[in-house]
Amino acid sequence: MEKARVEFVLNGKAAWVESDPRKPLLRVLREDLGLTGTKQGCDLEGECGACTVIVDGVALRSCLLPVGKIAGRSVTTIEGMGSREAPHPLQTAFLEAGAVQCGFCTPGMLLSAKALLDRNPHPTKEAIVTALEGNLCRCTGYVKIIEAVQSAAELMGGEARTPASEARTQETIPDPAASAMGREFSGIGGSPERHKGWERVSGEALFAEDISMPNLHYMSVVRSPHFHARVDALDVAPALEVPGVLRVLTAADIPGENGLADYSLDEHLLAPVSGRVRMLGDPVALVVATSREAATQGAKALRVDYTPLPHRTEIDRALEAEAIPIHDGGNLLAEDEVGTGDIEGALGESEVVVQSKYITSFQAHMAIEREAAVAYIDEEGRVAVICANHEPHWDRSSLSKILGLPEGKIRVITPPIGGSFGGKQDIWPMAAAALAAYHLRLPVQLAYTRREVMDAAPKRHPYKCDCVVGATREGELTGMKFDALINKGAYDSAGRYVPNYAVTAAVGPYRWKATKARARSIYSNGPKAGQFRGFGTPQAAFAMECSLDELCEKLGADPLEFRLRNALRENDVSGLGFRVAESLDYVKVLEALAPDYHEASLGVAAFNAEAKPGLRRGLGFAGMWYRFGKFGRPLSQAEIELGLDGSFTIYASGADYGQGIETVFTQLAAERLGVSREALRLVNADTAHTLDGDVTGASRNTYWVGGGVTDAARGLRAAILDAAASLLDQAADTLTLRDDRVSSPRGELSLARIAQELEARGIPRRVKGTIDLRDVFPDNERTGLYLPMFVTGACLAQVEVEIETGLTRVISVSSAHDVGRVINRRGAEGQIEGSIVMGMGSVLMEEFIPGLSTGFSDYMIPTMRSTPDIRVHLVETPSRYGPFGVKGLGEAAMLATAPAMVNAISRAIGLRIRRMPATAERILAAIRGEKTTE
Amino acid sequence: MNYVFPSTLAEAVDILAANAGRARVIAGGTDLAPMFRDGKIDASVLVDITRIAGLGEIEIGDEWIVVGAAVTFAMLRDTPYFRERVPALAQAAASVGAAPIQAMATWLGNIAQAMPAADGGIVAVALEAEALVEDPAGSRWVPVETLYKGAKTSSLDSTRQLLSHLRFPRPRAGWASSWQRSGRRPSLTLPILNCAVTLRLAPLATPQAQAATAGLATTQAHAAPAMLAAPQAPAASAPAAAPEGAAPFATIASATIALGPVATLPFRARGVEAFLAGKTPDNYVIEEAAALATSECHPRSNPLRASGDYRSALIPTLVGKALREARDRAIATMVREQQ
Ligand code: FES
Ligand code: FES
Repeated sequence: MEKARVEFVLNGKAAWVESDPRKPLLRVLREDLGLTGTKQGCDLEGECGACTVIVDGVALRSCLLPVGKIAGRSVTTIEGMGSREAPHPLQTAFLEAGAVQCGFCTPGMLLSAKALLDRNPHPTKEAIVTALEGNLCRCTGYVKIIEAVQSAAELMGGEARTPASEARTQETIPDPAASAMGREFSGIGGSPERHKGWERVSGEALFAEDISMPNLHYMSVVRSPHFHARVDALDVAPALEVPGVLRVLTAADIPGENGLADYSLDEHLLAPVSGRVRMLGDPVALVVATSREAATQGAKALRVDYTPLPHRTEIDRALEAEAIPIHDGGNLLAEDEVGTGDIEGALGESEVVVQSKYITSFQAHMAIEREAAVAYIDEEGRVAVICANHEPHWDRSSLSKILGLPEGKIRVITPPIGGSFGGKQDIWPMAAAALAAYHLRLPVQLAYTRREVMDAAPKRHPYKCDCVVGATREGELTGMKFDALINKGAYDSAGRYVPNYAVTAAVGPYRWKATKARARSIYSNGPKAGQFRGFGTPQAAFAMECSLDELCEKLGADPLEFRLRNALRENDVSGLGFRVAESLDYVKVLEALAPDYHEASLGVAAFNAEAKPGLRRGLGFAGMWYRFGKFGRPLSQAEIELGLDGSFTIYASGADYGQGIETVFTQLAAERLGVSREALRLVNADTAHTLDGDVTGASRNTYWVGGGVTDAARGLRAAILDAAASLLDQAADTLTLRDDRVSSPRGELSLARIAQELEARGIPRRVKGTIDLRDVFPDNERTGLYLPMFVTGACLAQVEVEIETGLTRVISVSSAHDVGRVINRRGAEGQIEGSIVMGMGSVLMEEFIPGLSTGFSDYMIPTMRSTPDIRVHLVETPSRYGPFGVKGLGEAAMLATAPAMVNAISRAIGLRIRRMPATAERILAAIRGEKTTE
Repeated sequence: MNYVFPSTLAEAVDILAANAGRARVIAGGTDLAPMFRDGKIDASVLVDITRIAGLGEIEIGDEWIVVGAAVTFAMLRDTPYFRERVPALAQAAASVGAAPIQAMATWLGNIAQAMPAADGGIVAVALEAEALVEDPAGSRWVPVETLYKGAKTSSLDSTRQLLSHLRFPRPRAGWASSWQRSGRRPSLTLPILNCAVTLRLAPLATPQAQAATAGLATTQAHAAPAMLAAPQAPAASAPAAAPEGAAPFATIASATIALGPVATLPFRARGVEAFLAGKTPDNYVIEEAAALATSECHPRSNPLRASGDYRSALIPTLVGKALREARDRAIATMVREQQ
């Protein structure tokens, strides 16, 4: 490439680069200037906004700017926005408002907001949306971002300011038990700033793709262009001829098992010669080179001979004898069934029965950060890999099987993660990078293109659900039948667990006389479906909560009253055949929504009575339960250390992919120790330093890992006070532990001094904490692997449908969730708001079509403009065993959203929608009574 | 690789000529950047025309409105005159991607890329705009429509020629435009269907005829069949604003209707345009015209966006809305003129 010199002003200083002038400014900033605060979310095609910079006062996409174009211009990147000492008011406001979850969209968001406020210091909400709608965020649902910009505008305008956290009123249903616990725990229940927040608003946080190392090499993946084919031959020679290519790795180079261990029982790391590829993007070989370009070219040059095989991405007839077999053992991966009572009898006696079929589609996570990993050999000779994950210790054991190395020779480090939603539980990127470092003994980076994310990263399983629900004329539920065919895609990727999740969610928090729920995971040549926020439950909740709404309509029953009447109570035997093991108060959750429900009912009725031509509104309601804490041992551990210098360090293993668990760890520890969060450091999810926190999916982090942290804090506090008591000759309960010392009426001691004392006495300064519920949850036949712990929630949605086009807008959503105990209010709200907007995407627009969906330009996720008015009600029914009474939340908030919205659409148009997404096209077809093509 | 900023048009044309096919014009760059990434553009010189004096200007003359090649969609969107008098243009500009794209992408670049449903192209075709083509042989105005040769193919040779300006007639009293668009989400997406309409109304000859038309327009706005009874706010307000007995009601002198993506090129619904010419712009006529538009277009299916059937179903809705909106705006300008 011929280079040219381009001079410009960068963050107020003269700068120049020698570069191909066509090279996008984004890559120049990141690669040539080392400014990695500017992010890349799409394939440099202007679709995500993560790369936003300001050029001469205007927010622009740096991926669309050939660097030659900026000659003589002035560029501001996130690195030039503010400093820790003198932050820009927007940076402060984003942190205060809780507008930062994973933080990957944040630099771009901040720059778009800055360009707006510089030009328009008092923007209306509409002006904010217009300026920021080009920046996608997958975590926050945009609510708190809008609030943050408004609050920064006020701050900069010098006006009396409402802190962003108080901008909206939040009510919590008063709970006698919670008040009995009191509010003495400072910080708990409040809205402290995100842990390591500054790093995420300043561009300092190093996500995997931002990490540079001396001699870093790059990797590209050779992937199948076929849905289904046999690999006949591989010719690596042409790839090796590409200048810069060092090595090609194939299945033959895998020292241990060619698989993904426990994560995916039937999936290869690389398809072997004479083996089969079963999906588009199935990996065949890895090319390692000195540059990205060389690696890409090498991958293109490598020759693979395939014999294409017949394929299918659907599963309708997959269990029939003549169906195309995807795996040798047949097309059924897994099956689960639950049932209670005499189902046929119960339905037979029902006065009203509804029978219907509900269908969902593949959906993509669309975290703004693409999958990336860096692997290298660390100073102790371990194969170390820095990669997004959910459970570093579990992954280390998988890598040990793949690399044929003992676990001690492997290290998994968790970097900041730019959103996961379950998708980054896939260990493939980590394993591929580790394999390259293992062979080359060099640092190697792997970064997926967005297209690779679309083809090869896991998706949400499409369901086809047959549902039957019955009730008496008085509105008492009788029986339910549920039968789901689950499109597994090409590989397991934990899909063997999905049927159990499906049937569990389907039964729901209701008093059934009889139940019969079955689900089957079936292979296709679609993308491997895997964990995705709710893991197999939102689809089932959609089908059942919509079925219940049909039943309500048939009965003429009020959907809220109906659910209240039939709500499962804490001591009832559930439709799964056993009692729940944690506290449960679905009634309280439903009641929390009653005021909003009545208000919205009147509003919708008034709107429709006005008979605005062409527009109809509808109100939809749905409830749910979610089993949090899934499988894994009912045991978790963490440690806290008092350093010899008197500092505290938490060692825990709970990956923070944006949900804010690190903030929660510091809150819990500060609370139990009785010190401020500022006094705590956190080392998280690094297998070289932290204990196994066990699986962290299924929203179990706060409850389990948090339980370990809390216990460690208790233990360490006791040890410190003990030592201080004897040194000061005081009773321990007269002492006060502060951030740096222990004080008493008779004098005080520095924590450093106490640390030395512990050291001298041989008392561990690093204290292990454990939450161990093995006695409470002895494995039993009915619950099997799964812990019977549930949270409940409910959602209310108001939509407006344009009758002539089917275009639908979600106007408002109210959501109530039992969180057990609020630890971080804004964090919890943010999880719910993000889930609502994600759920709205799944209802209105999101549909992954295998082989066709390429990225953000054709797989559409909601923008800021679609964000409805959202009200969140956090209900507190304290858990029995979790720290401070917490439960799990992150995924639960997904479940009720979609059915509430679909019910609202159905009620608006007076016709049932049974398909997700309910695109404008499908809604119009329903209105016109057309048969859809499905 | 050279990246140059010529300061005059002549210089730009010279550079293109001197490099004999190895140079390429770049304006906003939003379409070209992904092509660079894919190695689809192999040029040794990029000629950036955005710093040529005058090309960043919008000139609102008595006869023509002239827009330079460096004018971005953001400028079109924010120009008060366009918001007021050429709303189809301001709104089409606001439909391109999102603000950061609008701040870079240019109207002429949009046309030079020849995408069949580009918002800028559709509105230019409806405005019957002309582009000024510059090459060593000189410069000449050509209708924008003739620049479209086929799907994503422009008749322009961008290694030799460039578009420096675009012009369209300044609207008179009785002329108005409307823009309608449908997408899978409200912003940052390609259209499922987009549609630009212009109407030129001529005042009726006799006061009696005027009165008759006035009655038609007002009563029918309310008596319209339910299917057509989309929001009528401007319709209701425009005739109401006319002084009693002096309503300037009119016939359609001419209409233009451009639609995308319903063909490989921006599509002019010429059959509908011919049908409308000379008719009274009442809701019955508009309903008939809208229905006619469907039969003229043959949109294709794209599983990621919409089926052809759905697009076809949208056509009468969007065309009808656009015609009613343009009619009401046109009448409003005539009322203003009279007052
Ligand atoms: S990286 Fe620039 S918009 Fe996605
Ligand atoms: S915080 Fe916006 S993408 Fe994660």
